[in-house]
Amino acid sequence: MSVKAVLHSEWMKIRTLRSLLIALLGGPVATTAISALVSATEDGKRSDFDPVFSSFFGLAFGQIAAVSFGVLAVGHEYTGGGIRVWLAAVPRRGLYYGCKLTVVGLCALAVGLVTGFASLLVSQALLGDKGVGLNAPGALRAAVGCGIYLALLTVLASGVAAVLRSSVGTLAVVVPIVTFLSPVFGATSATRFLPDQAGQQVLHTAPEGPLGAWTGLGVLALYAAAAVFCGRLAVERRDA
Amino acid sequence: MITATSIDVHELTKDYGAVRAADGLTFRVEPGRVTGFLGPNGAGKSTTMRIVLGLDRPDSGTATVGGRPYRAYDEPLRHVGALLDAGAAHGARTARDHLLCLALSNRVPASRVDEVLEESGLASAAKRRVRTFSLGMRQRLGIAAALLGDPPVLMLDEPANGLDPEGIIWIRTLMKRLAGEGRTVLVSSHLMAETALTADHLVVLGRGRLLADMSMDAFIKEHSRPRVRVRTTEPQRLRSELTRAGLTAEPDGPDLWAVDGATPEEVGTLAARHGIPLLELADDKASLEQAYLRLTADEAEYTAANTAKQEV
Repeated sequence: MSVKAVLHSEWMKIRTLRSLLIALLGGPVATTAISALVSATEDGKRSDFDPVFSSFFGLAFGQIAAVSFGVLAVGHEYTGGGIRVWLAAVPRRGLYYGCKLTVVGLCALAVGLVTGFASLLVSQALLGDKGVGLNAPGALRAAVGCGIYLALLTVLASGVAAVLRSSVGTLAVVVPIVTFLSPVFGATSATRFLPDQAGQQVLHTAPEGPLGAWTGLGVLALYAAAAVFCGRLAVERRDA
Repeated sequence: MITATSIDVHELTKDYGAVRAADGLTFRVEPGRVTGFLGPNGAGKSTTMRIVLGLDRPDSGTATVGGRPYRAYDEPLRHVGALLDAGAAHGARTARDHLLCLALSNRVPASRVDEVLEESGLASAAKRRVRTFSLGMRQRLGIAAALLGDPPVLMLDEPANGLDPEGIIWIRTLMKRLAGEGRTVLVSSHLMAETALTADHLVVLGRGRLLADMSMDAFIKEHSRPRVRVRTTEPQRLRSELTRAGLTAEPDGPDLWAVDGATPEEVGTLAARHGIPLLELADDKASLEQAYLRLTADEAEYTAANTAKQEV
């Protein structure tokens, strides 16, 4: 089968579902708007004030949109026995799954980069004289890292959805991990290795703790790879 | 003989937990005719179709199309078209977008999408979201999807489900036309009268086993007892002569007897021999439904035993 044709089909599947487009575009809007709001009211007097990291305050909300997009892109395939139609069209399941996650991941990366730069630049502008430019230490890295972070989180969510084959079930598992565990337990030596805390190291001017900016993203990438691998096994082995 | 477009199921066995959905099934679906796929709920029809499409994995045995497993086809929609479930199209997509997503994956041109929408009577609803469709329209969309790649092999699971009378005539004509073009057409159905009108050949399953694989005529002949309706001016005398000949006559109307297990030849000859005038003598041919229910009476998993008795 033609990889290009399957990629094209997967892209069309995303384009033609409004809920996926809303989830996809909700990320940059929520992240930038909330970050902007916080930056506009930030006095920058806290001792731990990090002008770079504070421009991603809204990411806590925007990442839920990214997770939703990843979950729904896979979960929608299963509604009403629809997966049978898609797997009958593309019976090589590795190809089907690979193309889907590629398209989902690329969409999330593109939108994630927009999110990163928009959130950073808008926030820095609003921070006024406390703000820094793209050439400040860690700023460019954080904007690009934000895009990669969102793409990895999205793909992780897609992988879990392929295992659970249900949007609701997957959201119930993934959303609490990225919204609940970290805020409740804070940055302890263990929670630093949670997918969201590890991946968000890249957003700091100078990451502290055992993980650096890129190694933190690497840890998130390992989680994502594990989820994608489990999803692949589920898609490959289970009866549709 | 395996032809380029026959469906071949060989020694197929599939368990779902404790339930054996297919139990050593072997049969072939030949091109050029409509094959009716019959059996009570849970007999294994849908399971077999899913296995043919490579969606479910058999525990043992093989299922091939044109001698090759489904997964070996490069652009399978161009070889096999299937309708499994009318609810399979996502409700938030438009009919045209749903078909377009399918077409792109198998490099079927977009012009073909509009053709099948036209053919299935959905052209005017092409840009409506599937969730606004009636069951009949969803069914038409599923059939449009099956026709998308202009495939030589078609497998349709309950295609008449939810269709209005006009839709039923449409699907009947369509299936006959497709078979007439030399395609392989396998259609499962619970509608016996409909199957009797469309199918040339039957494959009947019960509890995962093959119960029959023969032409429609042979099936009805084999699974029904001959029955004759006879009207006479001397009903009592005819009845006693029939009884003496070992036949049972039951009243079937004024001066009308129904004789089970007898042919018109037997009854006509017997009446002539005794000089009983006959006003009417008719071969009471069993319907497909009667033949089918007789065959599956013991096999029906979900039919209460007494319901089956009443029907036969």
